Amino acid sequence: MNSLEGQLVSWVAPAPVAKPLDTSKTIAALVAEYSTALYRVAFSVTRNAAEAEDAVQETFLRVLKHESRLSEIRDYRVWLVRIVWNIVLDKKRRAKTRPENEDIADHARVLPSGERGADDTAISTEEHARILALVDRLPNREREALLLSAVEELSTAEIAATLGTTESSIRSRIFRARRELAVLLEKEGITR
Amino acid sequence: MKPEIDPGSDSRVNNRIDAALRSLGNSLPAPGLEGRLLTRLAAERMRMGSATNAFPASRTGWLRRFSAPALGTASTLLVGAVIVAGSVSHSRHIAPAPVSVAPVLHLPASGVGAASAAHPAGPSSAPIPAGKSARGHAIHRQGRARIAPGAHKAKGIVVPRPAVAPQN
Repeated sequence: MNSLEGQLVSWVAPAPVAKPLDTSKTIAALVAEYSTALYRVAFSVTRNAAEAEDAVQETFLRVLKHESRLSEIRDYRVWLVRIVWNIVLDKKRRAKTRPENEDIADHARVLPSGERGADDTAISTEEHARILALVDRLPNREREALLLSAVEELSTAEIAATLGTTESSIRSRIFRARRELAVLLEKEGITR
Repeated sequence: MKPEIDPGSDSRVNNRIDAALRSLGNSLPAPGLEGRLLTRLAAERMRMGSATNAFPASRTGWLRRFSAPALGTASTLLVGAVIVAGSVSHSRHIAPAPVSVAPVLHLPASGVGAASAAHPAGPSSAPIPAGKSARGHAIHRQGRARIAPGAHKAKGIVVPRPAVAPQN
């Protein structure tokens, strides 16, 4: 069978019918598996626990609204991260301000004390806030790649899929972001 | 020009950057996030279900199918009607239509036909006055000034002499 016949057969043959999903169970499973990762993605932009949780809730409400399309989604993690990422960026754009409501208590709560390394304990949460404020001064593309790279659950490929670019572009953006950030830290005297 | 960074401080800088980023990347939501999400989703699902039951698809299917085209057609017709009405109203406002009065037929008892009555003759002209001048005769004489032969004339005024008949 040549390629033309193959194409004809594929056109004529009935498309495989997607197995109907029990969407409520699927969504519950998505909540159980991805809610924390989505919260972290949202928190990396909002720096506010309540706003991050709101963004995650809005994400799953959108999933519920489009539950009929769940069977078409190939990669749930990337799909959900893209949704929450767009939500938080949209909110930030509407607010038109850099995060001013950074909650130091949130920073203090992010790591259980048992998991903190020696370096982490030496650096105060206040210094974290100052460094993250410098992160906000980076160009958009570099900042977004750097923030998403901070979320452990996301690989470079998933970050690239979320931002709609290639892995190599993500790697170079992260490299540039860290270099710029080091310069800013040096200027601010935070490294001393 | 970018300031030079001490190579020895690179690791310290990177450590601090990593630590700050870790504080974001390892952030933990308040306990019970999953339960709150599921509760909210269940409530939303119930709300959507009740909205669907209030207007079942079988009853409102035809309405949903035809409402958009019908609404579009109706709005198009309405806009067209408004445009036509506005145009007519505007033109009437600028040039009001003359009031047309149907001709009154006077049918005299003198034997004049209906056609003559429909086109009555115009008003009669004024009566011609009697007399020659009034009838157009000897008008040219009236326009001349008559000077008496013995009239006294002031100096410096040239007066035409009266015509004298040639003497043979």
